[in-house]
Amino acid sequence: MLTLELLINGMLLGGLYACVAVSFSLIWGVMNLINLAHGTMIVLGAYVSFMLFRAFGLDPFLSIPVAAVTLFLLGYALQRFVINLVVKGSVFMTLILTFGFNLLLVNALLAIFTADTRALTPSYAGLGVAFGDIRISYVRLGVFAFALALTYLLNLFLGHTRMGQAIKATSFDQEAAQLVGVRIRDIFSLTFAIGAALAGASGPLLGMLHSFSPVVGGTLTMKAFVVVVLGGLGSVPGAVLGGLTLGVVEHLSTLVLGSGYQDAISFLSLLVILILRPTGFLGKKFYAELKA
Amino acid sequence: MDVKTARFDTHVWEERRASARRAVSWVLLVVAAVSLLAAPYALSAYWVRVLTTIFMYGALASAINIIAGFTGYPAFGHVVFFGVGAYTAALAIARWGWSFWPGTVLAAAVCGGFGAIAGLPLLRLRGHYFAVATLGMNEATRALVENFGFTGGGTGVILPSLRGSIREINALFLVLMLGVLAAVVGFSYWLSRSRFGYGCRAIRYDEEAAAHCGIPTTRYKVAAWTISASFTGTIGAIYAYWLGYIEPSVVFDMNIAVKFFVMMLLGGAGTVFGPLLGAVLVEGIGILSWSRFLTFHSAVFGLIIVAVIILLPGGLADLASHRFSLRSLLRNVQENRV
Repeated sequence: MLTLELLINGMLLGGLYACVAVSFSLIWGVMNLINLAHGTMIVLGAYVSFMLFRAFGLDPFLSIPVAAVTLFLLGYALQRFVINLVVKGSVFMTLILTFGFNLLLVNALLAIFTADTRALTPSYAGLGVAFGDIRISYVRLGVFAFALALTYLLNLFLGHTRMGQAIKATSFDQEAAQLVGVRIRDIFSLTFAIGAALAGASGPLLGMLHSFSPVVGGTLTMKAFVVVVLGGLGSVPGAVLGGLTLGVVEHLSTLVLGSGYQDAISFLSLLVILILRPTGFLGKKFYAELKA
Repeated sequence: MDVKTARFDTHVWEERRASARRAVSWVLLVVAAVSLLAAPYALSAYWVRVLTTIFMYGALASAINIIAGFTGYPAFGHVVFFGVGAYTAALAIARWGWSFWPGTVLAAAVCGGFGAIAGLPLLRLRGHYFAVATLGMNEATRALVENFGFTGGGTGVILPSLRGSIREINALFLVLMLGVLAAVVGFSYWLSRSRFGYGCRAIRYDEEAAAHCGIPTTRYKVAAWTISASFTGTIGAIYAYWLGYIEPSVVFDMNIAVKFFVMMLLGGAGTVFGPLLGAVLVEGIGILSWSRFLTFHSAVFGLIIVAVIILLPGGLADLASHRFSLRSLLRNVQENRV
C-alpha cells in the first residue's frame, strides 16, 4: 500500500517537474542557453504568491497569473537588454552570466524576505480524498492538474499560433527563420519571457507542495535539467514523461535507500542517462545543439 | 639599404627586444618570489591569509584552465575534485593517521584516477551537456559524501591541529599554495608550447578536424582532465589541512567553482598567466566589496560577472594583445549579440 501511495504521489509531483522542465527546455532548445537562474525564478514566483497570500489572503492557485506576468516582464527585460548581448558567444558566457544573475536574484530575495523557510498553506491544505488506505491531498491533485494544464497550453501555443510557429522555426534553423522574416532578437526575448512566465507560474505550485527559501533554486534548476535530459531536449511529451519518471524514481528510491539519498539518485540517474542516451527518451538534435 | 638587409635588421631587433623582455620578466619573477617569501614576516596575519587565498584561487583557476581554457571543455562542476581531494587528505590524516605529504599525494592520485575514469564516458559529451554533467557529478558526489558513514556525513571531518607558532603555520601554507601555484602555471607554460598543448588547442577549435589531423583526441582530452583534476585535488588537500575542518557544503560548493571559472574567464581562458591575473583581480575586488558592502558582496560579485561577460568576452589577456579602447569594448558587444 505504501508503495502504491508513493507511486501516486511521485507521479503527482512529476507533473510539476514536467511543467518546470518544459519552460527550461524551451529556453535551452531555442537559444542554446542554460538558464542557471531558472530555479530561483520559480522561487521568485512562489514569493509573489506568498506576498499576495499574506497581504490579501489570495488563494495560491489564483495568484498564478500574477506570478506569471511578473516573471514574464522580468524575463523579457533580462533577455532583451542583457542576455541578448552575449547569446552568440561561447557556452561559458551564458552559463556564467545566468549564474551571476542567479546570485543577484538570490541575494535580493534574501535581503527582502530573509532566509526563513516559508510555505503556502491555504485553508484546505490538510484535506484530501481517500481510496481505501491511500490518501491523496487535494493540493497535490490541484497542483498536478494545473501543472499539466500549463504544459498543455504551452504546447498549444507553440503548435497553433503564428508566434509559436516562429519560435519553433527559430529553434530548428536560425538563418532560415531569418530569411522568412523572423526577427531573432524579438523571438529570443519573447521565448525567454515565456519560459520565465511558466517558471513563475510553477512557483505557487511548488510553494504548496514544499516549503521554500531563497536558496532552494539551485536544486530545482538541476532537477529541470535532469528531466530535460531524460525526456529529450525540445520535446513537450518528452518533458512530461521525464518529469513523471523523475517524480516516481525519487519517491520509490526513498523506500529502498531512505530519504537522504534522494538527491544522489536524481543526479546519478542524470549521469547514467547522459552517458547512455544523450538525446533522451524522445529528443532529437536541434539547430542550436548541432552548432555547439 | 636593400629590402633584404632591412628585413634582417628588424628581425635582429625583434629578437633583441624579446630577449630583453625575457630578462626583465625573470628579474621581476625573482623579486616577486623573494618578497613573497619575506611576506609572512613583514605582513600582518590578515594579509598573509589574503595572499594565501589569492595563490589558492590562482592555482585553481590555472588548473581549470588546462581543461576548460586550453582544451575547451567547460568543466563547470570541477570543484568536485577540490572536494574529493580535501576529503581524501582529511580522511587519510584524521582517520588513518597518515602525515601530510603522503595524504596530499594520495589526494592527487585519487583525483587523477577519478578524473580519468569519469572522463572516459563524460568527455564524449559536448557543450552544455558536458558542463551540466560535471555539475551533476559534483552534486552526486556531495550527496554521497553527506550520506556515507566513513566520511563523517554532514558533520564533516576535523583534522589534527598543527604544532608551531601561528606565524610559522601561516608561512607554511603561504609557501605550499605558492608552490602549487608555481607548479600549475609552470605546467601551463609548458602546455602553451608543447605538442600536447597544441593538440589540446586544436581540439578546442575543431575536434573533428583535430582527429583528422591524427591527434588522438580522446587520449588528449582525458589526459588534460586527469592532470587538471589532480592539480585541483592537491589544492583541495592543502586547503583541508589549512582550514583544519571540512564539511561537504564547504568543499563541494558550486560558488567556489564559479569563482575560479570567472577568474579564468576574466583573466583570459587559454593563456598562461591570465587565470592568475583574474584571481588577483577578483579577490581584490572581493576584499574591497567585503569591507564596503558586507551584506551585498555576493550581489556585487554577480554584477562584476555580468559586466565582464558582456564587455570582455575574451578576458583581460585580450586587452593586452590589442590596445585598450572603448571602441574595442563595444566591438566585443557587437560580435556576440543578436
